Amino acid sequence: MIDYKHIKQIVEALIFAYDAPLSDNRILKIVEDIKSKDIVKAIDELNAEYESSGRTFRIRTIGGGYQLVTEPEYAKYIRKLIKGKIKQRLSTAALEVLSIIAFKQPISRPEIDQIRGVNSDGVVRTLLERNMITISGRSEKAGKALIYTTTPEFLIYFGINDISDLPKPREMEELLGNAQEELHFSSDDEKARIVEELVDMEEEDHSDDEAE
Amino acid sequence: MPYRVKLENFEGPLDLLLFLIRKNEVDIYDIPIAEITQQYLEYLEIIKIFDLEGAGDFIIMAATLIRIKVQMLLPKPQLDEEDEEYVDPRMELVTKLLEYKRFKEVAHKLHDFEDAQRDHFSRSYYDLDGGDDEKEEVTFTGEVTLFTLIQAFKSVVERIPKEVFHEVKTLEISTDEQIEYIQKYLTENEQVSFVDLIGHIGNKLVMIVTFVALLELIKRKEIEVNQAVPFGEIWIRKN
Repeated sequence: MIDYKHIKQIVEALIFAYDAPLSDNRILKIVEDIKSKDIVKAIDELNAEYESSGRTFRIRTIGGGYQLVTEPEYAKYIRKLIKGKIKQRLSTAALEVLSIIAFKQPISRPEIDQIRGVNSDGVVRTLLERNMITISGRSEKAGKALIYTTTPEFLIYFGINDISDLPKPREMEELLGNAQEELHFSSDDEKARIVEELVDMEEEDHSDDEAE
Repeated sequence: MPYRVKLENFEGPLDLLLFLIRKNEVDIYDIPIAEITQQYLEYLEIIKIFDLEGAGDFIIMAATLIRIKVQMLLPKPQLDEEDEEYVDPRMELVTKLLEYKRFKEVAHKLHDFEDAQRDHFSRSYYDLDGGDDEKEEVTFTGEVTLFTLIQAFKSVVERIPKEVFHEVKTLEISTDEQIEYIQKYLTENEQVSFVDLIGHIGNKLVMIVTFVALLELIKRKEIEVNQAVPFGEIWIRKN
């Protein structure tokens, strides 16, 4: 039986050496005789030690694992160091498509296009290349379109531990409940406005006639 | 030669509609269809000039708007009490707009997450394939979006007096030349308003080439575009 101090050191060494978030399960399989709660405790203590001794990194829980990362205040220097090797930001269109896939997955491209009102072919391809999404099969519906889901890399890229940590979109029902009431009372006003506009146009036509 | 502008940040007709609704400060649940359709069609004209990818989607939406406008004029069908309720012709569009808007909100939050995560570096963060600086996405600062720029462009173009006769001439001007023009301007002046930069050019095509040059400079991150208040003056300066 290894003592607790040693456990903490092993956990630190594993996380330090690994090049991606390291999951609980992997650590449990590697280190015998320890429990999940030992790992959590070790990480809490390590982070407290880093902080009190002025270290520039912390262990963060993202994408279902633990990863050693630098604190934000050093970002501007590191950026200069690795300039040109930093991944590109995702475009606004890509973020939109990802939001839709994250909450509607699995979802096909025609369904994404439907929500965005615009073709998302290129964006979906970029997201596949960036490994943010993956093809998970074919739709049961007519057309048998490919369907997409998000990947673990998606969580890591956004620094999220679990998909349930994502901010939820507001409920459609709630938004629409509002709309139905409002729309009932207002349509007559709008109709009046259109009629007025048509009358104006007619008058303009008329004055043209007189001019000729 | 047609001027093709390909902008991945162009978010489509629903985005344009949401922009117009915000700009006019109207209620999304009570869209003044006549007004918004009119403005939408004006923007569509500009979009067609640029021959943007996906202009087809914008045209389909224009057709939808006009259909709704016509439907608003038809008398409400006489319904028995037991029959279904009267459905506002705008209902379907409002539903689509709201559905799109709520994902846009999430996308906005994802952007914040992305921002925060980009400040944390792990030892595996290096993209060993080598990121390509050239392909960096167009990022607009503050409230200035592509629509805002197109809006400014539209208002300047509208000031050109309409020419009755049409003469086809070869245009001896390139985007590169206009990039130099903007760079030179910004060396001599600390900053310039969008209207001052584009406004005095009397020729629509030269304006378009200059506008494309401006977008190119934004993409290269050589210049910065700012706006103090939404829909206010747009200021351009060196980055």
